[in-house]
Amino acid sequence: MRKISLALFLFFQIGLSPIFSQDYAAFSIDPNLLSNANAVLRNQSVEISILALDKMRVKTKRVVTVLNEHGEQHVQAYDFYDENSKIKSQEAIVYNSLGEEIEKIKERDFNDRSLVGSNTLYSDNRLSFLNYTIKDYPITIAYESEVETNSTIFIQPWKPLGNYNLSVEQSSYKLVNPKAIPFRFEERNLEGLELDKNNTTSGLYYKAKNISAVENEVLSPDISTYTPQVLVALNEFALVGVEGKASNWKELGKWQYDYLLKEKTELPQETILKLNKLTANAESDREKAEIVYHYVQENTRYISVQLGIGGWEPMPAKDVDALGYGDCKALTNYTKALLDSQNIPSYYTVVYGGDKTNIDPEFASMQGNHVILNLPLAEEDVWLECTSQSNPFNYLGDFTDDRKVLKITPEGGEIISTPNYSTAANLRESNVEIQLDESGGFSAKITRKNSGVPYGNIYSIRNQKEDHQKIYYRENWGHLKELKFDKIAFENNRDSIVFTEKLEVKGAKLASKAGNRLLLPVNFLRSKTFNLPRNESRKLPLVIERGETYKDHFQFKLPVGYKIESIPEPIHIENDFGKLILKTSISGLNDTELQVERLLVLNEGNWENSSYTAYREFMNQIKSYTNQKAVLVSN
Amino acid sequence: MKHFYFFIISLCSVCLLQAQDYKFGKVSEEEVLEKEHPEFKEANAAILYRKQRVYYDIQKNSGLTLITEVHERIKIYNKEGFDWANKTISAYQNGTETEDIGSIKGYTYNMVDGKLVDEKLRRNGIFQEEASKYTLKTKFTMPAVTEGSVIEYSYTIRSPFVTSMDDVPLQFEIPVNRLEAEVKIPEFFGFRMHYNPKSPIVFPIDKTRENFTYNYTQKTRGGRRVVQTDYSQESIDYMLDVYNFKRDNIPPLKKEIYVDYLPNYAAYLRWELQYTKFPNSPIENYSRTWEGVAKSIYNDAGLKQEVNRTNFFDKELDQLLAETKDRPGKLAKIFTYVKNKTTWNDFIGFQAENGIKNAYKDGEGNTGDINLLLVSMLRYAGFDANPVLVSTKAHGIPIYPTRNGFNYVVAAIEDQGEIILMDATDKNVAIGELPERAMNWQGRIIREDGSSDWVNLMPTVKSQNITMLNMQFDEEMVLKGKSVRNINGLHAKKFRDNYLGLANEDYVQILEKNKGNIVVSDVAISNEKVIGENIKQSYNFELRDAVEVINEKIYFKPMVFAGLNENPFKGEERNYPIFFDFPSSDSKTINFMIPEGYEVESLPESAIVNLKNGEGVFKFVVSLNGRFLRIESSLDMNNMVYTSLDYEGLKNFYGEMVNKHSEAIVLSKS
Repeated sequence: MRKISLALFLFFQIGLSPIFSQDYAAFSIDPNLLSNANAVLRNQSVEISILALDKMRVKTKRVVTVLNEHGEQHVQAYDFYDENSKIKSQEAIVYNSLGEEIEKIKERDFNDRSLVGSNTLYSDNRLSFLNYTIKDYPITIAYESEVETNSTIFIQPWKPLGNYNLSVEQSSYKLVNPKAIPFRFEERNLEGLELDKNNTTSGLYYKAKNISAVENEVLSPDISTYTPQVLVALNEFALVGVEGKASNWKELGKWQYDYLLKEKTELPQETILKLNKLTANAESDREKAEIVYHYVQENTRYISVQLGIGGWEPMPAKDVDALGYGDCKALTNYTKALLDSQNIPSYYTVVYGGDKTNIDPEFASMQGNHVILNLPLAEEDVWLECTSQSNPFNYLGDFTDDRKVLKITPEGGEIISTPNYSTAANLRESNVEIQLDESGGFSAKITRKNSGVPYGNIYSIRNQKEDHQKIYYRENWGHLKELKFDKIAFENNRDSIVFTEKLEVKGAKLASKAGNRLLLPVNFLRSKTFNLPRNESRKLPLVIERGETYKDHFQFKLPVGYKIESIPEPIHIENDFGKLILKTSISGLNDTELQVERLLVLNEGNWENSSYTAYREFMNQIKSYTNQKAVLVSN
Repeated sequence: MKHFYFFIISLCSVCLLQAQDYKFGKVSEEEVLEKEHPEFKEANAAILYRKQRVYYDIQKNSGLTLITEVHERIKIYNKEGFDWANKTISAYQNGTETEDIGSIKGYTYNMVDGKLVDEKLRRNGIFQEEASKYTLKTKFTMPAVTEGSVIEYSYTIRSPFVTSMDDVPLQFEIPVNRLEAEVKIPEFFGFRMHYNPKSPIVFPIDKTRENFTYNYTQKTRGGRRVVQTDYSQESIDYMLDVYNFKRDNIPPLKKEIYVDYLPNYAAYLRWELQYTKFPNSPIENYSRTWEGVAKSIYNDAGLKQEVNRTNFFDKELDQLLAETKDRPGKLAKIFTYVKNKTTWNDFIGFQAENGIKNAYKDGEGNTGDINLLLVSMLRYAGFDANPVLVSTKAHGIPIYPTRNGFNYVVAAIEDQGEIILMDATDKNVAIGELPERAMNWQGRIIREDGSSDWVNLMPTVKSQNITMLNMQFDEEMVLKGKSVRNINGLHAKKFRDNYLGLANEDYVQILEKNKGNIVVSDVAISNEKVIGENIKQSYNFELRDAVEVINEKIYFKPMVFAGLNENPFKGEERNYPIFFDFPSSDSKTINFMIPEGYEVESLPESAIVNLKNGEGVFKFVVSLNGRFLRIESSLDMNNMVYTSLDYEGLKNFYGEMVNKHSEAIVLSKS
């Protein structure tokens, strides 16, 4: 009896599925899924089959209802391919708002594009994508594809909610592992999901339903830190034909060392001799390392070529030595090779460059998009960015600071952190002498020192053409009118990592005339603020990734015949987010000078969503105190 | 006698010492040692030498091939110049034939321990990338490049596309010390040479004629009983047109921020094919007038058939127009109908890629599909409608009459001598308006009989943007008010492009942005979706940091957030023209009630500023009537294009406006 009913059930399902199970009509979407959504993921199913250590097939089905033009980006009807990863099939079906099929796009009608970016000279990565003109919203696009690859080291994770303003009706994920290759997986943020799951040694199965869209909010954490995901990795795998075994960071690092890095540090004897000569008088390892880093900066440049396994292993040091260029892997390995020749140990270190993103310490898998070099010297750990021809020694800047990275040693991998630039270290300090004239105009001598992260953001200005430097300052100091430059000079101290700007400028209408008075804004250079939107229902926590400190001293000299009538009250605001201290005082012979001291500290930190309004209020306060004025009156 | 020889030899060696040796591989120590460019000290790199030879290769079997040989020697002064050590050469392919890039050789020269050392470019530094169906890119990167390196490379492009000759560049973003170009064209091709009219520099060029004899072996087979093969030496004499260009010290193309596309302004030579005249063939004329170009496009590119194709939409159109009798009503209905019925697929072109019938059926098409469909429907409805050929902004202005000079089409109707333009590929343009991409140069209207005329594509009517702020302080000195804004024409189009369909909360956020400590409420927008109608937008606001109280006096900028705070022109000088999007009239009126208990101590003064004989006018009028203060600020920009000579004037003009907008009112307690 049971068998029969099961058979009947199957029969019905097969018979009816084309009509009923694919209900892609837009009106059948649960209204709860429409709030904040530009698109709805109606059904996503990813099935990953591990057919062998070096053969993986990924079948993807992704059905997205696009609600408006902003939702188009979520269709994602594309796949990447290269020599080692082939698209077996691709197809898309378009449904109108009633869920009726209106168009079918076959594989041959997909578009093909090379993925050589502006920073890459060559790469064999390509993209095959659907190019479809949406005529009317809402519309539903169902994409199906099958991709086969010989690299099983990357297993696509399950991230049902991968993006802002996208809600999920249903998303499923299946890992099929018929050969029972040992694997690991880790669940994150699955609490509160409508979840089906069925996990065995030969596979995983997850299905979630009805996840609401997330709205992006300024200064909020990265979406992947709070949305559901399941991470998966095989303990035995292959990467473009190279097989390996690893189940933790130590082992994965060891494998990378043995198969991708080892024996690539050989150098021509003449280069070593040249280097020996250069370092002959160096007194410490640190000094030697500085000479080596400088040598790399002077003799190489960054060129990215990514081909096959070359996307994962560095070009040998001797090739870099001959060619004088390489990508981050090649240049880091080359620097390491040069340091080895001087008996200074250093370690190839994998990192995510850009926004602060960690190499996941809890889950070992191929991660990162960049490589830097770690030197554990006796005094401290030194970090080198080997792709830069201009960074000072031991300067990472905001590209790779303060995050978890994978350090690769011959013994294995190790997760460590790159240094953090503290709020006090990110310092911009200005000292300005301003001579005012009767019309409200001024001439000023500006000295501004930048260190910490601000150093990295400004120092390249010295290489720009003078016209562009002037435009830079006019744009940044838009409040200073008719700005003219008598002098623009810079001092780049690479040892102390301080960049000093020295300018002499003239401008008009700093102080505005009101009868026989001059109204003088005392904040000659404005303090930094964020323009934050009003948001009474903030949902996400507040994140300030880096702290900043601004110290300014403005010294005004009055025009002849003027005296000070009033100065602003001192300001002292201090809270969890930072502080603003502004003091104006009268000085000089016959009280003809005005001294303004300003300290602005913006702290680094994480706060609850409810803090947002207070933070915004703090920013508004800083901004309104920027307009503080002194009144000068003519005798 | 001996003396004489010696004299010649010493003369030559003197020559050699003075002149640079530009032979491939003859890089000198001096070149590598040079620290900065002697004339352009800011240059990051310089082309020490560039030679380009263009000529035709004639082979009996393969026929003609167009050959371009390039040899470049580049000095790299600093790290900013490293990009010049990466080279990309693009080749065209059309599916059957491909341009071939070959004979790439290159060396990098450095001084190592006081000796000149070269490093060869090897195969591992050369890459081929299929960038698209039509473009193959060959890329290479030079080895061992450091500050001071001199790189030298040469390559050859062999092209089967013999009737289209690429531009010969004469100017670059870095200085050129010596440039030589030689173009040899056999008499079979009548090419006319053009300079770039946008480039301020014109270099003279030598043109001469040369004889050339082409020898080949003719094989003839004959004989009655025994096949006999005879070889005979044949030859053809023909003339070559030789263009020669040699010049020292070409200044770099000045890089400037805020310029549309810099290479548009570089000096180059462009080649227009006027005719071909092959031996034993009649002359084939390629030379054109714009009249001829328009006619050939109309007849051969399918425009004529497409615009006369009806019957697939007749029923729907009859139904659509059944109730409408007046012509403006019909016009509006058809225009809206085409806009609603079809979506532009982002492809441009004057030809109907899919055909207007398919565009109608599928609801999708390129610019040709959609706008020719519009012409066809208008004709069906009895309008004198015609296509207008256009060159888009990105496509620029053609130098000579050619079909490639146009790349876009719009629709026009002629009514009592007046031409009304329409473009149904942009949902937000009204009748008589064009999207920005099509507002370029002039268009060519083609009538049914194939005759054609120029049509102005630039907007002539000023688009208006009128804002009125009524405001006053409450007891806590919070500025409360209402903003009412009325916009039409291309201002309204811009508004729709940016904000149409935006959720109310998002729009409030946009309104509050950069206005200080403000709360915006009761936002109302009308006619947002009625394309062609004025948009009216209003909202209430409360601004908290509008005033400063110093010594019991109130200082307050009456333009609040409606003023222009910064001069948009920040460059010291300008080498290129300045383009405004469209003629515009922008007016802002502030009505402000002086609070009770205060009196006016000082007010900004009224002012009128003129730009270049009234091409721009800024008026700032302040009037106080009892407690009622009114400020009217208006900016009229009547002209869209200004030359670099007008730059200083424009900068000062906007500077004056910024000054006026930042002046404060002072109120004191009465």
